[in-house]
Amino acid sequence: MNLRERVWTRVRRKLGIDTLREQYTYAQDPRFGKVSASRVADRWVRTTCGYCSVGCGMEVGVKDGKAVAVRGNEQHPVNRGKLCPKGLSEHHILTAPGRATQPLLRKQGKLTPVSWEEALDVMVERFRSIQEKYGRQSLGVIGTGQLVTEEFYTLGKLVQLGFGTSNFDGNTTLCMASAVSGYKLSFGSDGPPGSYEDMETADVILLIGANIADNHPILCQRLERNKHRTLIVVDPRVTKTAMMADIHLPIKPRSDIALINGIAHVLIRDGLVDHVYIAAHTSGYEEFASYVSSFTPEYVAQVTGLTEAAIVNTARLYGNAKAAFIGWTMGINHSTQGAVTVAAINNLALITGNIGRVGGAPFSITGQCNAMGTRESGFTSSLPGYRKFEVAADREELARIWKIDAERIPTARGLAYPDIIEGSVAGKIKALWIIATNPAVSFPNYQVLQQALNNVEFLVVQDGFHPTPTGDFADLVLPAAIWGEKEGTYTNSERRIGKVNAVVAPPGRARTDFDIFLDIAQRLGVRDELYPGWTTSHDAFLEWQQVSKGRLCDYSPFTWQQIEDEGGAQWGGERLYQDGVFPNADGRARLHCVPCEPFTEQPDENYPIVLNTGRTVEHWHTRTKTGNVGLLNTMVPHAWLEMNPVDAERLQLKAHDKVTVISRRSSVPNVELRITGIVAPGQVFMPFHFYEHNSNQVTLGAFDPISREPNFKQCAVRVERTNFSAIDHLSRKTQANGRDAAAS
Amino acid sequence: MALPLHERALTADAGALVRLTTDASESIFDLVSAATVLDWAPARTPSLIPTQPLQEDEQYRFHFNMTKCIGCRSCEIACNEQNGNPAEIHWRRFGEVEGGTWPNTQRSYLSMGCNHCLDAECVKGCPVEAYTKDPATGIVLHSAEACIGCQYCVWNCPYSVPQFNPERGVVGKCDMCHGRLTDGLEPACVNACPESAIEIEIVNMTEWRKDYAAAESPGMPAAVHTISTTRITLPEHGAANLERVDYGHIQPEHAHLSLVFMTTLMQAVSGALVYQLIGRSATAVALVTELLIASVALSVSAMHLGRPAYAWRALKMWRRSWISREVLLYSLFFGALCAFTVLSSTGFIPASHLRSLIDDSPAIHFLLNPATLQIIGWAAALFGVGGTVCSAYIYLVPARPSWNMIHTPLDFLLTTAFLGWLFAAFLHVLSNSVAGIVGMRFLFLSTNEASSSVSAGLLFAALWVLNHIVRRVRLSFSRIFERRASASLLRTEFLQMIVFSSFALAGLAAFFAFARMSVAAVLAGFAAILMTRYLFFVSVVPLNMALTFVRGGRH
Repeated sequence: MNLRERVWTRVRRKLGIDTLREQYTYAQDPRFGKVSASRVADRWVRTTCGYCSVGCGMEVGVKDGKAVAVRGNEQHPVNRGKLCPKGLSEHHILTAPGRATQPLLRKQGKLTPVSWEEALDVMVERFRSIQEKYGRQSLGVIGTGQLVTEEFYTLGKLVQLGFGTSNFDGNTTLCMASAVSGYKLSFGSDGPPGSYEDMETADVILLIGANIADNHPILCQRLERNKHRTLIVVDPRVTKTAMMADIHLPIKPRSDIALINGIAHVLIRDGLVDHVYIAAHTSGYEEFASYVSSFTPEYVAQVTGLTEAAIVNTARLYGNAKAAFIGWTMGINHSTQGAVTVAAINNLALITGNIGRVGGAPFSITGQCNAMGTRESGFTSSLPGYRKFEVAADREELARIWKIDAERIPTARGLAYPDIIEGSVAGKIKALWIIATNPAVSFPNYQVLQQALNNVEFLVVQDGFHPTPTGDFADLVLPAAIWGEKEGTYTNSERRIGKVNAVVAPPGRARTDFDIFLDIAQRLGVRDELYPGWTTSHDAFLEWQQVSKGRLCDYSPFTWQQIEDEGGAQWGGERLYQDGVFPNADGRARLHCVPCEPFTEQPDENYPIVLNTGRTVEHWHTRTKTGNVGLLNTMVPHAWLEMNPVDAERLQLKAHDKVTVISRRSSVPNVELRITGIVAPGQVFMPFHFYEHNSNQVTLGAFDPISREPNFKQCAVRVERTNFSAIDHLSRKTQANGRDAAAS
Repeated sequence: MALPLHERALTADAGALVRLTTDASESIFDLVSAATVLDWAPARTPSLIPTQPLQEDEQYRFHFNMTKCIGCRSCEIACNEQNGNPAEIHWRRFGEVEGGTWPNTQRSYLSMGCNHCLDAECVKGCPVEAYTKDPATGIVLHSAEACIGCQYCVWNCPYSVPQFNPERGVVGKCDMCHGRLTDGLEPACVNACPESAIEIEIVNMTEWRKDYAAAESPGMPAAVHTISTTRITLPEHGAANLERVDYGHIQPEHAHLSLVFMTTLMQAVSGALVYQLIGRSATAVALVTELLIASVALSVSAMHLGRPAYAWRALKMWRRSWISREVLLYSLFFGALCAFTVLSSTGFIPASHLRSLIDDSPAIHFLLNPATLQIIGWAAALFGVGGTVCSAYIYLVPARPSWNMIHTPLDFLLTTAFLGWLFAAFLHVLSNSVAGIVGMRFLFLSTNEASSSVSAGLLFAALWVLNHIVRRVRLSFSRIFERRASASLLRTEFLQMIVFSSFALAGLAAFFAFARMSVAAVLAGFAAILMTRYLFFVSVVPLNMALTFVRGGRH
């Protein structure tokens, strides 16, 4: 529209002529019926949702090359046509403002548009020279759970074999690493053994630290369909999920191990265990039984704050169930004891034989759309195909497939995510490549992260969005395609491989991560060796099929087309370990004696309140996506802090007051106070999605010794009414810091 | 009432057409047969939309099952996608109610579109008949074509359902996806809900009118105002202790500046005319000034509309809409004032010409008769004051409790009396000065001053202040939450300052008028009234359903 037309339209609009009539008309969609004409598509592309790990099947409508609508795929076994609010508005992220559209290189302190040629030449040259100067391991790479499996597989080879650094991890370590480690501890391999269908068939469902109503809402229909279930929700907060429960167990923070051991105690005491299963398929029972004998209901009641009756009742319900299901998410994983807590959960399933059969499973509900894909193919904490760095045969097998010298494959994993960050602060990591993740919002203890990002000599941020809080630190920004712009597969929580398709082309000069990886390999001179003849992500899939063949996560039986046509395919079938044979050397699952220790930073006089963090249904992670979807962001535009009325009264705070959350590390000012019975006295809760109110300013940098997962869920804070003059001072200081960072 | 839906429902294998949601109990998902029956819909479930035709005295309604809702808000997004609405406008809205003490806290959610009320106030108030209650389905339909964007329905609805879309200049609201229902498809919200918490049912209107207790819920305004048809299933554990979580979320409403100016100016003009007629001081200068101001006021008021070009349509529903009546009477006022001004100005015309005109036409002779002139003048005044009364009635809506008080018409009438007095006095001085400059004494019909009106004016000023003080006290101590909320809004720093300024200026105006400083008096008077009118608009707290604790936009 030229200026004259625009002015004329404006004038007509001001007068009251309906200039937008066309935009607001309805039309008949041949498949979906009457709908806003703006949502009627020319064609529909089947794909899998790119937000969480539920893995809903959907169709994206395209009109004139633009994504205009999303519909749940009625035929998809995961969601049967239903989608959560993020999924229902997912097409908006493809046209959202804030997409990264061109490579940007920092020149004289300023991010300046450059060609891909220049961007990747500089990247490879800088990484190489830093690695030559400080050693190969001085390059750290932090990936994600957001790419397609084919890209993870490609990236793993590029980093480990191309760049030759094993300091490679993903944001999945902030998410489900404890589940991975816990499964490995008990079963000898990662891999959630159950299926969503078990939630429909189990008669007792125990959800521990899992607020699925907010975080995996589409799973809730499974519980709705299960008319005979008893749902027990263990959570210190009265979450939306707790409100769905038949029994809510409001335990004290981090007392879950005591509860789980206490349940085991009652099961053994009351003879509710499956001795046949234990004898045939587990090891360490005697030791375990004697260990949990000290977890009497009386003791557990004291630790958890529950009544003895509630503990015994829960144990009996679980023990008497024909099939009992345990699901968990971040309430378990986000802990310094996460991995062993998962092992403790597995103990319950093992001693009652609730594994490998319909309705019975210890089931980790994963976070990101393809966290599972990176677990399977990623080459970060293990070798592709659930192989182990430490096992020579595993390395040799891969070397044979890849036609490389087995010596090139590391014999141990490199630094995990938090250790890469600490390594950057310590000067061991000199260059960082961050792909599709936003640690400036998601990593605990922001102050340390900030030092790390400022400390490295060269920081590359590859993301679909720019600017992002992390991108602001970057020396080089690579604009990447996102969900809806590339092809490959995601694996969901129930091991279902889902097909992901390109709906539209990436915006501007953005490229798929796969293309970027191949281009870098080319410049590094390893393309022909690592990716012989590859042009599309399907080539990666074909090789990955070979690599995974015969492994637990065997992709070889399925083609892309089959996966798409059949609404996904579960590797390992509907459930793992149906024969009771586990991938440990002796074929048995291990029972572990798991001590219950208090969480790291206990409240004291100066920091008397325990801060819990979590999510809300309207937003996804650090809001690079949902913050750009007007509809979702209008629903919840900023963070809040939940506080019990008892504490609010003591602190003389009112609803909607602006408060500052202060920990030993830093503070989050200007958070809107919600006074509510959702949280217990002595505890507060805030969502972590918001950079503007970043809960990770105050969270604790304490990590699980096994999984390296951060303890996001508990830290000691105090809450004060915000002093606005202090904020002004702080923001001036931050701006000054920003200038320093830019100048350096 | 055989809609296509019903016709199809009555045929043998129509299940697939009327049912979209798969059944929980049949968990084995048969891809092949589902795909062959229909592209999108396997059909095995108890339908979420009616499969029976509507009988006499029946209509459709929503059923919201609070016990099933998990608070995922998919319905809200699905609604916006269905209707292509901008991010700030939500025809289906989501709210939270909460009660009890941790850990026995109870949380529940509301998801509401339009309640398709039996006595829909939006329908009654609409000046252009944009709303109709569909005779076939009982759905309250809104026509964007007919709508002129006056937003009276927004004020009238106790649930704040209709929402103004500034981008388009018209209001919009949930129509139960009428177009989909009649095609036998579920409304978008019903279809999106993963928990089947929303359905469409049939309700017998007579029975519902007798007992609509099932429409009541914590977080919902009482159904009595409009007889909402939405049935709400409350939690089994009882809902007595559930309270809305957004009590503290009180924002100033839109200031509607065009209405602030229009009401103030029209009241000043019609009031002044009354004083002039009583005092026989209606000079040509005064009348022309009044005419100018009235035309500005009426034009400005059209700018309040989303679609000013169609302002004339507002006359349509004078039989039932106070807006139509206001527009009608103010238009008549304007016409009468025009006539009065023209005829009064015959003093301009040289006597010889005048005489020939009168001689030629008995009609003109009649019109120029001073008695006729008086009648026209009084007619204008009557229309003016009548228009002001209609204007006040617009705001007497149960959905806006702090407007819905006797103080509103009192304020409008006392403003007419108080500001009219100040304005008339000013016009008198103005006329004198103009006459002095131009040297045309003959412009006066009378040299009477309004001196006798000083005591009356002061009395009205005092009453005006008293009315505001009583209103304020009543708001502060009201049993109705929204009234107290208005009072607390008026206590916020900025509004408080305006309250004090307006009283101070009103006092000053009275003082100046007493001291015969007419210009200062009228300026202070206008400032005082404009400020109070501004407060009137921004401090109203509408009835609304409970929404969420944190939220953006204005819904």
